[in-house]
This record gives sequence, structure tokens and C-alpha cells, in this order.
Amino acid sequence: MRTEDLISRLVAEPPRPPLRAAAMALAMLVALALPLGWFLGSMGMRPDLEAALLAPVTAAKSLLPFVLGATSVALALHLARPEARVGRRLVPAALVGLAALGLWLGFWVQTPTQALGAAIRGSTQVKCLTTITLMSLPPLAVGLLMLRRGASSAPALSGAVLGLACGGMAAAGYALHCTEDNPLFYVTWYGAAILAAGGIGALLGWRLLRW
Amino acid sequence: MRDSESEWSVLMRAAIGGDGRAYARLLTEITPVLRGIVRSRGRTLPPDRHEDIVQDVLLAIHEKRHTWRPDSPLKPWLYAVTRHKVVDAFRRRGASVHLPIEDFTEFLESEPGPDPLARRDTDRLLAGIDDRSAAIVRAVAIEGEETGAVGARLSMTEGAVRVALHRAMKKLARLGAGSGGDGPGRGRDE
Repeated sequence: MRTEDLISRLVAEPPRPPLRAAAMALAMLVALALPLGWFLGSMGMRPDLEAALLAPVTAAKSLLPFVLGATSVALALHLARPEARVGRRLVPAALVGLAALGLWLGFWVQTPTQALGAAIRGSTQVKCLTTITLMSLPPLAVGLLMLRRGASSAPALSGAVLGLACGGMAAAGYALHCTEDNPLFYVTWYGAAILAAGGIGALLGWRLLRW
Repeated sequence: MRDSESEWSVLMRAAIGGDGRAYARLLTEITPVLRGIVRSRGRTLPPDRHEDIVQDVLLAIHEKRHTWRPDSPLKPWLYAVTRHKVVDAFRRRGASVHLPIEDFTEFLESEPGPDPLARRDTDRLLAGIDDRSAAIVRAVAIEGEETGAVGARLSMTEGAVRVALHRAMKKLARLGAGSGGDGPGRGRDE
């Protein structure tokens, strides 16, 4: 086909609605709220929630993943534009990672060696890992579907950031239920679940967000 | 150089608002720039593939135009789409290409005009006439060689070359008129 003919064919097509970041974020939020609401509804919030959120180290269990989730959603939506660069926008996620690592190391040096294993293992790591990872999948699926309308120049990166966002949000919600407040536990397992969501997102993004 | 940035942004905004004429003008103005980019980067690929890639890019611009934010400059967006599709097209065709991250402007400034003949269509048309005539058309009408030089190469008189060229062009015009409806048969989803 001649290029001029292609152009006249394209021109004849109707325009498309613009990409709406807010609508995309909202759809993902709903996709997270449903499984999270169901989980918290059936398993219950921790009984001492108010007191727990007043203790900084315990509050960090919700706050750090929430900040990671919120900034990563914004970054993933930003990356839906082809001209977008990551650059400094990764700073918030990196700071959250550093804070979590610092917290983990701080408790690691304070804990006697023989108690380290038990503190890291906790007693609910399987539930924690699976719940957070599974709860991150619905918003991840919705987010990927919406990002397919976008045009990311780095599909795997977009998927990974989206996965981290969903993992972070899911972890922040799960923390309202979980009573294991030692950073040696929650940084390890929340972190692993969030990274797993990021990895799944990277793989799916690489497959689904190409254009 | 005129300010194509604001001009193109205006056209694209109008296009997004449903102004087909503005859209056609925009795409038509972009096309030679895309050709320039593909041609300058695509020495590892046969030139008849270049127009395919240009069309790939145009299609991507079309399909992703809603990802441009009308309050931001158009060129960075346009260049990002172009870069993405050109790199991708070359990769899929087994050739490598290097496109710097941000120098659309450089390409814009150095741009040659549009290709007078789409190479692939020409090739198909030329296949419909005898080899010698095709060689003459190629040499004179496309490469721009002198008829005398072509005659010397093909051991014909210059006059005979002119006559053969004239006949071939007439025949090609007939062939071209008959092959208008090639439709969507470009096989783009390989």
C-alpha cells in the first residue's frame, strides 16, 4: 500500500478518547479493594489496630508499602506515555526500600543471634506471602489491561513498577490484619511478596505491553 | 527553519478533536521526516523495506495518538513513538539499529523531501514489463542516470533508450492504473 493511501485510511478513522490516569488508578483501586475487603472482612482486622498504628515501627508496616504502592502507581501511569523517562521518579521507591532495609538491619543488630531465625521466620510467613501476592494479582491484571492502551517504551519496566505498586498496596492492606510487628519478619516477607508481584508484573508487562 | 513544533502540536490537537484535514496534513508533513530517519539509520536493510517501516511508524502514531497529552510538546512524544517502532521494526527484521535517545530535531533539520516513487510498488510494476525496459526505467527514471550512459551500458543508442523508456512508461502507467485496489494485503502482522 502506498503511504499516501495509508494516511487517508488512518485519517478516516474516528478519534479516540484520551488516556485518563485518574480513571486507571481508580479501576485498580477497586480491583484491589474487592479482594482486600473480602480478606479483612472474613479474617478480621487486628484487634489492637489503633494502638498498633500509633507505634512507629508497627505503623511503618502499613506506611512503607503504602508509600511504595502510591508512588509506584503514579510512576506506572506516567510510564504509559512513550516519551516518559524513569529518572528521579524512582527515588521514592528507592527511599522506601532503603528505609525498609535500614529497619531490618537495625533490628538484626539488636536481636541476639540465636533468636534471629525465629524472629525472621515468624509464624505466618506462608499466609503472608501467599495472601499479599494473590491480592496483588487482580489490580495487576486490571492495571495491565488499562496500560495496554498506553504506549510504554519499556514494557517490562512498566509491568514491574505496576507489580510493585499492587504488591505494596496489597501489603499495606494485609498489615491491618497481621500481628507480626517485628521488621525482621515483615520486611522480609512483605518485601518478598512485593518483589514477587513486581516480578510477575515484569514478565506480564514484557508480554502484554508491547506495541 | 519554521516552528514545526507548535505547528504540529496545533495540528495534532485539531486531529484529536476530529479534524481529519488537520490530521492528514500532520501525517503528510511527518512522513518525509520519518523517511529521513529510517533511511539514515537503515543502511543495513534493503531500501524497499524502508517504506514499510515508515508505515509501521505512522500506524503506531495513529494507534497511540491518545497517549499524547495535548498540553505537552508534541515532538518528544512523536520521536519516542518513532524511536520505539523503528528499533522494534529493525529488530524484527533481524537488523540492528542505533537511535539516540533524544535528537529528533537533528533529523528534522537534515530532512530530504519525500520519495517520489514508493519503491515497493515500483518493483512490482517493473516486474510486469521485460527486463531490459525495467532496467532502463530503473536507471533513468529512478536513479536519475543519463540516457546516454544507460545506452552505453546496455549497448543501445541514446535514441533507442529514449524510445524504450517512453514505451515502458506508457506500459507502466497502464499497469499502475489496473493495480489500484491492492487493499490491506500488506501482511503487517507477521
